[in-house]
Order: sequence, then structure tokens, then C-alpha cells
Amino acid sequence: MKRPALLALVALAACALAPAVIGGAPGNAATSKGPAAGKTVKIGVIADRTGSAAVYGVAQDNSYQLANEDLKSGLLDAGGAALTFDVEDAASDGNQVANLFQRFTTDGSALILGPTLSGEARKGDPIAVRAGTAVVGTSTTADGITSLGPCVFRVSLSEAQVIPATIARTKSVWKYKTAALIYGDDNAFTKTDGDIFKAQLEKAGVTIVDTETFHIGDKDFAASLTKIKAAKPDVIVLGALAEEAEKIIQQAATLGIKTHMLGGNGLNSTKIYDYAGPAAAGVVVGAAWYINGNYTGNASFVARYKKKYGSNPDQFAAQAYAAAQLVTQLVRDGKATKDEMCPALHDLRVAQTVLGPIAFDPGRDVKAAPVILQIVKGGFAYFH
Amino acid sequence: MVGQQLVNGLFLGAVYALFALGYTLVFGVLDILNLAHAAIFMLAAFATWSLLGAGVPLLLAAPIAIAGAGLLGILLDRIAFAPLRRRNAPNLIALISSIGMAIIFGAIARGIYGPDERRFTLDFLQAAPFQVGPLTFTAVQLVILANAVVFMVGLGWVIRATPIGRSIRAVAEDRIAAALLGVDLERTIAATFFIASALGGLAGILTALQYNSVQVDMGSQIELKGLAVIVLGGMGSITGAVIGGFIIGMVETLAIVFGLSEWRDAISYGVMFLILILRPTGLFGKRSLRTA
Repeated sequence: MKRPALLALVALAACALAPAVIGGAPGNAATSKGPAAGKTVKIGVIADRTGSAAVYGVAQDNSYQLANEDLKSGLLDAGGAALTFDVEDAASDGNQVANLFQRFTTDGSALILGPTLSGEARKGDPIAVRAGTAVVGTSTTADGITSLGPCVFRVSLSEAQVIPATIARTKSVWKYKTAALIYGDDNAFTKTDGDIFKAQLEKAGVTIVDTETFHIGDKDFAASLTKIKAAKPDVIVLGALAEEAEKIIQQAATLGIKTHMLGGNGLNSTKIYDYAGPAAAGVVVGAAWYINGNYTGNASFVARYKKKYGSNPDQFAAQAYAAAQLVTQLVRDGKATKDEMCPALHDLRVAQTVLGPIAFDPGRDVKAAPVILQIVKGGFAYFH
Repeated sequence: MVGQQLVNGLFLGAVYALFALGYTLVFGVLDILNLAHAAIFMLAAFATWSLLGAGVPLLLAAPIAIAGAGLLGILLDRIAFAPLRRRNAPNLIALISSIGMAIIFGAIARGIYGPDERRFTLDFLQAAPFQVGPLTFTAVQLVILANAVVFMVGLGWVIRATPIGRSIRAVAEDRIAAALLGVDLERTIAATFFIASALGGLAGILTALQYNSVQVDMGSQIELKGLAVIVLGGMGSITGAVIGGFIIGMVETLAIVFGLSEWRDAISYGVMFLILILRPTGLFGKRSLRTA
């Protein structure tokens, strides 16, 4: 082959692969024309942009807005369909969640993404199930979420998938024999965390020397932490959402507690360090995604997110973008209506996302391996 | 551990007591429960946060917010209670009216600030804690305790030894007789609302500083605790509100010490019920304002 022709071929190949590399549209050109070309597809998205869960919901909203931009620019390829993610704020309010589910099940949305919290999913998902609309959770990690209906899926690793790996890794590094557990007992997610941590710690031969519970919205943890300090555990295990977690971490430091800490998915926010400060450094958490992970399109996603919003994406942002990539793939393959989405999700073999290649198991949970991270200033690092 | 837990309970109780004083003061004078008190608690915290954000130093911002809370209390009375008072409306109507005002205040705050948690960026909130033997204190906790003691003692003195305090006691004793004896009813009631709301505002600011957190719904938890405190201490009793505040703070802490964290709130209210069975008027009876 002559040299100019070879260069032209390389250039053509580079152009063809660019969208897949930077946007995760697997193997298709940005301007492809698929079976759904010309159709309008609206996806209803429920995220807590405000309220107590805003630390997660804002990141999710950011990713969907980025996805909308990427659809317009062609970085995400919907096969010629006019795909949009219609994000509405549930304000961390269960009633608002239910109202939005009512709306998205009746306004022609092909699928619902969200909501942000597991407790919200328990309230809203049954509405979608009754209406025959498929739901894909991106941050609902409590037990039993996908059991809410045959068309309820999630791209977020469940706590049951992540916590055993978190305990195994931390135990092998820290060599702990005792633990104190503190968790919220009035929230679906934190209660799940508490139950799973308890079972898995005991399974791992760790003695739980103290268990403390709190309620969502509590701000004073001094009494519980004083009791934990007196029990002298090797590690403290947190089943908490970010708002309570950062106060627990900060108040523990105030009381002079220097014990290793680990926690569940609620700690997967860069806001923990922002609010708790250096006391949060070294706290370990199991995650579904790592910012420097070598997944197709991940580096580009991180760079574009940071450019647009001025801060790094966290796991919740990545999971939301992965859901947008998954839906884009379904639409590109011709699935444009709510009746087509649920079977398509069941039949999905693999979707290339910023979380890596994902698929669903028979229980509609995502099949993927967790990563174990520790909180550092500005984000997370691999825990070794 | 026990020493530190007593300190934890003391600080918690101090805030409960400060908050409950406002409740009990209004109840002692007017026989009504002002359920908008928690909203004023929240608004004072937001006012302080806004003033700090505008560059006003804390030592100026907090007094401005406290005075603002007091004035808001007077406004609350003018809008929600005074018209009902003039018509001799039943106390239940006044209670509902205060709930309405609480909702309106909450909606205004939500409209201005949104539902997100706001935080202070004050250096002294990040200061290293003090260590006294086995006990740990933070600067904020000491500020809370000092304020609580000063304002509780100050309120007792105002009620006992000043002309306005004597008027408040007279109105609490018998509103009609006090009026016949020349006490300016409306002025006395306005003073009562000012003092009660200023104390609520102070409690709000101290709570916000303690946990570095200002939220629209920050009053919802303490609102119920405050009710438990004044019922336990005796409706209308200043001494009862103070003692009741510390009892509830200690009971909550001790529930955790005894491994009953999941029963914490139930135990607090259980203690309240127990005391009511033994003393139906609460620890310090009814209308102790008369003898405060």
C-alpha cells in the first residue's frame, strides 16, 4: 500500500473510533443512522438536585446534562434518534419522588432513570412497575430494590456486592479483629449497610464490640462516639449517608478517635473530605468506579466533566453517565418506546460505559467488580 | 467515659433548655403553645449565616440575628395571636395559627435559601479541641454553655427583678387583674414574645455553630424535644424548662451509654410520661412564672 493511502486509512480509522474512545459509543460513528432514526425519545430522570441527598443528585444531574450535550455534539450516538434526558429534582422528598414517577409514567417517557436514594426507589419504583415503565437505578444500592418489579434494573453495584470485598481488603491490610458499627436505622440504604456490614464482619471472624444507631437528620453523635471510643475497636464501620457521615468523622476526630474507618456507598462523595476536612483522609470505601480507572472513554468523561463543572466527577456522576450511555446504546439499536425498553434491558449482552463493560444478572443487578478506595484530599485513591 | 458522656449530655441539654425557655415563657403568659418558635430558631441561624457571608463579624452578626429574632417574635404575635386575643378565640385556634406561621416562615426560608444544608467557614469552628484530663471540649461547646448559663440566669433576673419582669409575672398570674392594675397588656405581651423569640434565635445560632449546619428543617427535631422539655419541667415554668432541658439531654445521652441508641427518643418521651404519671403538672408545676 502506498504511503498516502496508508495515512488516509489510519486517519479514517481514527475518525471512526474517536466517538467510542471519548464518548463510549461502542463501535459506531457519531452520525450513524439506526432503526430509531428520526424518532423522539425522552428519558425521565429523577435526581435529588437539592435537599439532603443533593451531594449525590447534583453530580447525577451534571452527568445527564453532559450527556445531553454529548448527544447534540455526536459524542454519544443515538443512531439518529432525538434522545434527551429530562432531569427533574426530587428535592430529597419522597412525595416529590412519587409525583415525578407519576409524571414520567404518563408523559411518554420511554424509561425512568433514578431516583437517587434507595428509600425513594421503594416509594417510586412500584408506580413505574404498575405502569409498565422500566426503571434503571444508578445509585440505589440497598437490598431488594430490583425485586420491586420485573423491569427494575440498576447499574449501581449493590451494597451486598461491594461490602464483602471492602471488608476482605481492609482486613487483609489492617489485620483487625474487632469493630464498632454505627449506622442509621431509619433509612433503607443505611439500614441495609448496617445489616450487611454486621453479617459480613461476623462472617469474616471480626468481633463487633459496639453497635450504635442514629436517625437520618441527627447532628450530634458525641454520645455514640464516646461509647465507641471506650470500646476500643480496631476499626469503626459507618453505614451512613454523606451528611451524617461527615459529621461522624469530624466529631470522632474532635473526640480524639484515631481508629481506622470504613464505610458503605454513602461515603462515595468528594464532599465528605470537603466538609469533614483532613479527618476524612484515609477512610476506606468500596466503590463501583475509580476516577483513574482504565475504562473505555473514562478519561475523556472525567476531563469533559471537570472542564464543564470545575470539579472532578464522583462515582455517582460516573454511574449516571454510564446509564446515559446504556440508554443511548438501546436507542441506537432501535428501542424507542417504553414497551421496548424492558425486554431490551433483559436481553442486553454488554454495554460499554465509563464504569467498564456492564451487563445485568438474572436478578437485574449489574455485573461488575468493586474497587476499594480511600478518601484523600480532592477525591479518592486506590486503597493498598 | 462516664465523665465525657455527662459533658455530652450537658451541652445537649443546654441547647434544649435555651430553646424550651421561649416555649415556656409564651405559654406561661398567654397559655398558648407557639409552634412557630422552631421556625424563628431556624431563621436566626440563616440570618447569622447570611450576615457572616456579607462579611459581618460573628460577634456583631449573632446579636443582630438575635435581635431580629426578637422583633420577628413581636411581628408573629401581631399577625398570629393578637387578632385572636382580641376576639377571645380558643387557644386551639392560636395553636393552629402558630403552625400556619411556622409553615409560612419555612416556605420563605426555603424560597430564599433552598433546602440544602449551609455551612459556616469560621476558623474557630475548626480549632483543635481542649483536653481537660479525660474530658474533651470544643470552643463552640464552651461558647454554648457560657451563653446558656448567662442567658438563663439573666432571664431569671429579668423576670424576678425588673419592671417588665414584674409585668410579665402579673400578666401570667391574671391578665384581667393585671390590666386593671395598670399593666400595659400589649406591651408586656410584646416584651414576652421578644424575649422568648430572641432566646429561640440564640439557641438556633448556637446549634448551627455546634454542628456547622444550617437547614430549613433544622427546627423540626428540636421542636418536639422542646415540647417534651416543657411538659416534663412543667408548662410555663422557667426553672422547669431549664431542668427539663438538662434532663432530656442527659437521658438521651445515657440511653446511648446503656446500649439503647435505637430507643433513644422513645426513652426520652418514656421518662416524660413517667414524670407526668407521678406529677401530672410536671416537675415544677404550672405557672411558676408567678414565683420565678
